[in-house]
Amino acid sequence: MPTTVQPQTIRPREVDGSVRHGSFGHLALTAFDAMSHAVAVTDTEGMIVLSNPVFDRLLADDGERLRSVVSLAHAEGATHGKREVVLADGRVLCLEFVDAGDLRVVSAEDITMHREDELHAADAALTDAVTGLGNRERLGVALRKALGRSSSPPAAAVLKIEVDWTRTLHETFSQPFEDALIRLVADRLRSALRDEDVAVRLGGDRFAVLQIASNQPADAAVLAERLTDLLGRSYLLQGHLLTISVSIGVAVLPGDGSDEEAILRSAGLALHSARESGSGAFRFYDAALGEGMERRRTLERDLRRALALRELSLAYQPQFNIGASKVTGFEALLRWKHPLQGWISPVDFIGLAEETGLIVQIGEWVIRNACREAARWPDDLRVAVNVSTVQFADANLVPAIISALAESGLPGDRLEIEITESALLGDHETALSVLQQIRALGVSVSMDDFGTGYSSLSLLRSFPFDKIKIDQSFVRGADADVSGVAIVRAIAALGESLGMTTTAEGVETKEQLKRIAQQGCTDAQGYLISRPIFPDQIVPFLSTTPALGMVQDAIQALPAHGRRND
Amino acid sequence: MRSKLYRHTEGEMTEPLCRLVYYSRNLVVGPDESIKAEVDSILSASRRNNAACGLTGALIFNRGVFAQVLEGPRSAIERTFERIQRDPRHSDVQVLALDAVDQRGFPSWSMAFLGRSLDGETMFGHIAASSGFDEKRLEGERIYEIMRLIALEDETRSA
Repeated sequence: MPTTVQPQTIRPREVDGSVRHGSFGHLALTAFDAMSHAVAVTDTEGMIVLSNPVFDRLLADDGERLRSVVSLAHAEGATHGKREVVLADGRVLCLEFVDAGDLRVVSAEDITMHREDELHAADAALTDAVTGLGNRERLGVALRKALGRSSSPPAAAVLKIEVDWTRTLHETFSQPFEDALIRLVADRLRSALRDEDVAVRLGGDRFAVLQIASNQPADAAVLAERLTDLLGRSYLLQGHLLTISVSIGVAVLPGDGSDEEAILRSAGLALHSARESGSGAFRFYDAALGEGMERRRTLERDLRRALALRELSLAYQPQFNIGASKVTGFEALLRWKHPLQGWISPVDFIGLAEETGLIVQIGEWVIRNACREAARWPDDLRVAVNVSTVQFADANLVPAIISALAESGLPGDRLEIEITESALLGDHETALSVLQQIRALGVSVSMDDFGTGYSSLSLLRSFPFDKIKIDQSFVRGADADVSGVAIVRAIAALGESLGMTTTAEGVETKEQLKRIAQQGCTDAQGYLISRPIFPDQIVPFLSTTPALGMVQDAIQALPAHGRRND
Repeated sequence: MRSKLYRHTEGEMTEPLCRLVYYSRNLVVGPDESIKAEVDSILSASRRNNAACGLTGALIFNRGVFAQVLEGPRSAIERTFERIQRDPRHSDVQVLALDAVDQRGFPSWSMAFLGRSLDGETMFGHIAASSGFDEKRLEGERIYEIMRLIALEDETRSA
């Protein structure tokens, strides 16, 4: 019969009558008693035969746990090992036992603090340090748990949220200020959620919420609506009034993805679509988004390859001076011959190239090639190159122009850069400085597609342009359009007073040519003069094109006041 | 009697004084009674909060639109503003002015309410007539001045 434990005393108990009473045994027991480690000897069922005071203090009233651990280990045939047990009062003990014949020597250690530290560390590893929200890992843990649940789906939704600060020109904030801002956003986000929802910061200005709510997608729509309103309200911080735009993409579990990665991708696609549709919007994932994105990805991959494999080429469209009745130069136009799809219009890939930043590389290639080509032309012909808004904002533009000129030997005054208004809308001073650097190289600058955007007269006045190109929509089919006529006339007059050349684009008929000449345009470009042609056609075009003679005849027929400039 | 509301002295402030003027739309719909109860609850909550953090100010409620002036230490204003922004009863919160000021315009009011004063209504009615209470046309400074005038008149009358 086992006896009960009596703390604070060492009492050898009789087991099979083998207790020793010798002086060595007494010494051993005294040492056992004085040990700072908690040690006990039990039988194979975990009944305590001998225990020291530290052990008794540790395990006080919970001998049952010890018995179950030891007896279970015995039943499993384990001769030694470690087991963690959680006591009724919440403490965590590590019990290590060693087989000693019919007895087990058990040492115990209180590892509660250890466990708590580990939990803290685990918690910290799942927490965003700036906002105290969860991080990407926490979302993953919560998502896997939600997806693993076998309850009747759908049971949850993932909302990916992106906020975008509206900044004024040159406004930069310190890191602590930005952190304080993002904390304000995070606090608002938290205030709109319930306890069971999981909110995380994915990094930067991006957040995500896993909403556990069974009424999907209705509940997600309500939350998304609330969040676009709440997060989109203005913020006051350290005396600054700040506004942000909010975009949210929603994916519903499990319909929009069967695993963590698929769900997050769906929510990301929906976010992308929300962002494109303007601020303050949220979008649900839709399979068509995935297909559209797939097409984009393919196109992007092909475009990268096109650049490397020289599938891109340049065509050149003549620019014609009406007064002098001669071709003054060519505009270089990008062409892409896809190995499978054939010619792809720039309209279909320039946007993507701008979004992905590929435009910078492509644009450099264009400048380099156009300069090299133009260097072979007669000295009085110039080449015009389009520079996109993204490229214009790239710090590498001016160095790229300098190097293209140097490499080709083309004098700066034979190169012309065409930009659209949107290139100048951002940072006024930087844009002006870039324009001035370009002009300092002798290169001229044209305002392209004028009339389609803001058509800001103040932009024309404050930036030093050499030429205004009037968008073709004012030239073509505008015979009956009184306002079109008035606009062309006004722009031409403005150009004249500011000392700029005015080129009418998209001139297709002799009548259009006559009209724009009468309205005061100095130059023309369009199919009437020539379609864009490839480099090897340029020399033949210049010497023998009958169409050019026809144009010249049309010019000759104009009354003298319709022919300005030389 | 003004003394029933806590009077703040500038000496308590270590932070510079700021004044915020904004308007917002009340989203509570229903009969006049429930709107009145809602405005009362907003008022008493803001009086309690403002007294606790050294803010004073005034509130006008008219045709579903609140115009409010808050003055006090900047951080207290920012905390209060944040609370208002999170309040689903307000929408369309538009900040009209946020300025550093030398002194308070409403030193004796935790939150003066100008909606019930007859004179206030007349004055406000005048604004409404001239502008259709088009809040966007009311500059922050003007709203502040008008509200201060109304508050002072109220005070003179009840003194």
